[in-house]
Amino acid sequence: MIRPDAPVLLEIKDLHARVEDKAILKGVNLTVRAGEIHAVMGRNGSGKSTLSKVLAGHPAYTVTAGVVTYRGQDLLALDPELRARIGVFLGFQYPVEIPGVSNLEFLRVATNARRAEQGAEELDTFAFEDLVRERLKVVQMDPAFLDRSVNEGFSGGEKKRNEILQMALLEPLVAILDETDSGLDIDALRIVAGGVNQLANADNATVLITHYQRLLDAITPDYVHVMAAGRILRTGGKELALDLEERGYDWVDQELAAQAPVPLEVA
Amino acid sequence: MAASLTAPMALADWTRQWLNGLPVADGPLAAVQQRGREALAELPVPSSRQEDWRFTDLGLLAGLDATLACSPSDAGLPPAAPGVLRLVLDGRSDPLAGVVLPAGLAPLSDSELAQALGHTLAATACEHHWPVELNHAAAQQVLALRVASRSCLTLELVSMQAAGLLPLRVLLVLEEKAELELCQFAGAGGAGLTSLVLEAHLGRGARLTHGVVALGRNDAALLAHLAIEQEPESSATLATVAAGWGLARFEPRIRQVDGSASTTLRGLQVVDHRQVADTHSHISFSGPEGQLDQLHKAVAAGQGRSVFNGAVRVPREAQRTNAAQLSRTLLLSDRARIDTKPELEIVADDVKCAHGATVSCLQTDELFYLQSRGIAADQASALLKRAFCEEVLRDLPGAARQWCRFEHLLASV
Amino acid sequence: MSTAQAVGDLVSQPYKYGFVTDIETEKIAKGLSEDVVRLISSKKQEPPFLLEFRLRAYRQWLQMQEPDWATLGYPPIDYQDIIYYAAPKQQDKKTSLDEVDPKLLETFDKLGIPLSEQKRLSNVAVDAVFDSVSIATTYKEKLAEHGVIFCSISEAVKEYPPLIERYLGTVVPITDNYFAALNSAVFSDGSFVFIPKGVDCPMELSTYFRINSGDTGQFERTLIVAEEGASVSYLEGCTAPMFDTNQLHAAVVELVALDDASIKYSTVQNWYAGDENGVGGIYNFVTKRGQCRGDRSKISWTQVETGSAITWKYPSCVLQGAESVGEFYSVALTNHRQQADTGTKMIHVGPRTRSTIVSKGISAGRSANSYRGLVQMGPKAVGAKNYSQCDSMLIGDQAAANTYPYIRSQQPQAAVEHEASTCRISEDQLFYLQSRGIGFEEAVSMMVSGFCRDVFNQLPMEFAAEADKLLALKLEGSVG
Repeated sequence: MIRPDAPVLLEIKDLHARVEDKAILKGVNLTVRAGEIHAVMGRNGSGKSTLSKVLAGHPAYTVTAGVVTYRGQDLLALDPELRARIGVFLGFQYPVEIPGVSNLEFLRVATNARRAEQGAEELDTFAFEDLVRERLKVVQMDPAFLDRSVNEGFSGGEKKRNEILQMALLEPLVAILDETDSGLDIDALRIVAGGVNQLANADNATVLITHYQRLLDAITPDYVHVMAAGRILRTGGKELALDLEERGYDWVDQELAAQAPVPLEVA
Repeated sequence: MAASLTAPMALADWTRQWLNGLPVADGPLAAVQQRGREALAELPVPSSRQEDWRFTDLGLLAGLDATLACSPSDAGLPPAAPGVLRLVLDGRSDPLAGVVLPAGLAPLSDSELAQALGHTLAATACEHHWPVELNHAAAQQVLALRVASRSCLTLELVSMQAAGLLPLRVLLVLEEKAELELCQFAGAGGAGLTSLVLEAHLGRGARLTHGVVALGRNDAALLAHLAIEQEPESSATLATVAAGWGLARFEPRIRQVDGSASTTLRGLQVVDHRQVADTHSHISFSGPEGQLDQLHKAVAAGQGRSVFNGAVRVPREAQRTNAAQLSRTLLLSDRARIDTKPELEIVADDVKCAHGATVSCLQTDELFYLQSRGIAADQASALLKRAFCEEVLRDLPGAARQWCRFEHLLASV
Repeated sequence: MSTAQAVGDLVSQPYKYGFVTDIETEKIAKGLSEDVVRLISSKKQEPPFLLEFRLRAYRQWLQMQEPDWATLGYPPIDYQDIIYYAAPKQQDKKTSLDEVDPKLLETFDKLGIPLSEQKRLSNVAVDAVFDSVSIATTYKEKLAEHGVIFCSISEAVKEYPPLIERYLGTVVPITDNYFAALNSAVFSDGSFVFIPKGVDCPMELSTYFRINSGDTGQFERTLIVAEEGASVSYLEGCTAPMFDTNQLHAAVVELVALDDASIKYSTVQNWYAGDENGVGGIYNFVTKRGQCRGDRSKISWTQVETGSAITWKYPSCVLQGAESVGEFYSVALTNHRQQADTGTKMIHVGPRTRSTIVSKGISAGRSANSYRGLVQMGPKAVGAKNYSQCDSMLIGDQAAANTYPYIRSQQPQAAVEHEASTCRISEDQLFYLQSRGIGFEEAVSMMVSGFCRDVFNQLPMEFAAEADKLLALKLEGSVG
């Protein structure tokens, strides 16, 4: 829901970033207020996944210019774990498998790290099990997954559900979901989208990074942004996504070509 | 075990006698012969006390004629396919005499030979191995060929050993992006020893597919060193099949000089009666992003003995190496023995190295499944044995595949 | 700082048990001779059969060559520069703990092994060995009620000579190897455990070895016998002070399991490993072997190896009895310039014997961690099975992980399966955990313990936490 007076949670100004020697983000601007759902769309290579990784602090990406503030705080100065603890969540496109590390233990340590930051008491194993069993319902997940290693041997759908389960436990204020719909069948997509809808409220915000309209059929965005060549090319309402679905991305190329060439970055 | 105590002495005597009986060093390899003879006189003969020879008794050699064999025979193989050059190696005459080489294939000049001969042996740290020095001491001819850049050739090498020692020396230089398919047949027609030393240098982007089919007999031995140096982006596939030898030992030695190359090794050895077959492979990655895919299989029946030792060295500079080694042995008799020892040495953190080994007899549930479909027990077990071998045989290049009749391999097993 | 570097720093924590206890010690002169062997035997007032045993071993040892085949490099050991007997000065072994020198009790307190009645661990009986002698054994009376004998081997020699004569040296013969022969000649103390027929030992048994003197070799000898249908779980722990010289530790452990008996032997080894330049530390040359003599017997080795400058150790099982079972679960962590050459031998003799090997090696710094194993299927091992899994985790690009799994088989109806892999802590895995709010150190520690989980699961409950703590200790500290 759009409320012009809602507090700004995330503010991205002129963000430039590169991986190795390759400039990928070339001046991204985005403001996210509490209660909003944003969709960032674009082709492969447009920079949308990079944007999510930069916001979460992936070490392979270097920010070369720009500012990101999260509730007034300089987000880019923080280590990845601190960003998570203060309420920024990245749902991975490819959740990582960590053999040997129990999923339950992982969820508990992560949840307690977030709680400690919020000044809440640490949950012992029993209290945490109660909590996790309750949250499992959000994504209709089988408790058996708790006893397995983190994401190890999970199907694509199970991995994505595990991501949303983590989101349900960590209760972030800004959740960035990177291609959460990729690799999901219709039922899994419905469950995952249902989870995201349940968790969205007036105090938090969601940024969906996606290729396709089909996720947006299940989660209605307030804003749709189209990314190309490392920048947000156009912003509109949910109808922009429908427009894209109908006309494809070709017009993006035309629009890009019409613009003056993007100036080279000075690293 | 008692035999292995007497064998080194008998073998030392044989070596001495054999060295004394060699003709005066002569021909293009005279200097190499001279050095080899001096080295051999000094080297201790392999014995079970040396880790590399712990399980492999060379006692068989001591019973062989201490002479050089000459055996001009094409082993009764079907003729080569049209357009494919077949060279017969008899150990004495120049294999290229009177041969018209196809475009893209040329003999090495004397100065090139002087530069290249022994280079790959040294690079793969085996130039002073006993079997190599034995070859040095005896080999009178070397088949030294250059495959020109971007040419694509097929070549067959055939040898048929008689009584005595048949020394074979081959040197191949593959220029940038050259491709060579090499099918080699080593047969045995008498109580003798085939000593094969092959060196191959693969230039950038070159591709070598080498298949060796070695079919021997109970009173014959084969000692083969196959040394390959690979420049980046080159690809080497080496498939060796040995069956029927009283003693057969293959030592594939591979070095990826700057990494970024790909190596595929396939080995199959079949032992029966009192035969011994041994493969000691050694792969070293001297640069990043190298690849290895190795599968070694053995079938041991009768009182046969099968040995596999697979060394993989991944030093610090070989980051992002991806190496996989699998050794599988089918043990078919309770008087046969197998010894398997993978050796992985890794000093690089960002690598994928996996290896596995299995030893078993035919799976009873698989046998039962076939039988439950009406297939007789012996037929079912033949089918399973064939399937076991097929995994290696199918990687033999062209003609070599035809030489390697399955019935031949497992005639008695 | 790169991830690899940061992870490397994490595993470089200082050694916590490096203090020396200031206590008056009785030592004999340096050096080894037949007279020294006789002197040790007489100090311990041993019966003639044992002196004979020692002398035979000593004479054998003189004929033997120090092994050099392990992938280890160390300067030659001067066997004449070692003290072969050192004991804290107290007359006889005290019958009551109250009479034990408080300094000794304090030492074990500091090591986390309280011995006094008020503080001692419930449900774990402890034999505490300080340098060459056992100073106290807890819960002896309670164990005696069940017919279980748990005491120092010196005491057993006096109290139960027939048992010692019957079993000592029958699993590891004195001629077995160089270090076993040396141990047989000069062994000082160690533990003896005897579980009679049908008894399930009511508590965990544990021996804690402490090397205190700087120039003393430690040669303990442990013998565990489980009679028909008996079972026991035993844990060994060890620490040593930090000296800049190397101390030799050459122990022998023999286990005997009769029909349907089961022995679980766990080791949490944390000797001083030397400093980051490889100065000082324990040379740990140990022979451990269990014999499943009886049908359906079981011997299980679990080890967590974190210390020692050099480790040379292959806890083995000889599976003689039909359907007997051998297990080996191992975690070996090496750092700095530590060298570990460890693994196991599973010798399948009897029919339908089974063995499992799970080895996890973690190499950091400039250390070398080698797994060396042998699985042998003898001609009579019909229907025998082995499964082995060897995984290595490499931290940094200067550490070495070597794997040498020998397989020998003479039995077609036996199946051997071996798998090995290498891995590292990947940047993506670290980032994933961090992006869920888990700090760097905890993330590394979680992944290392996850890597070791299959082995930790095998440790007795009381010690699983200890092992995890030990690894965490090696992993904790500030990240620069």
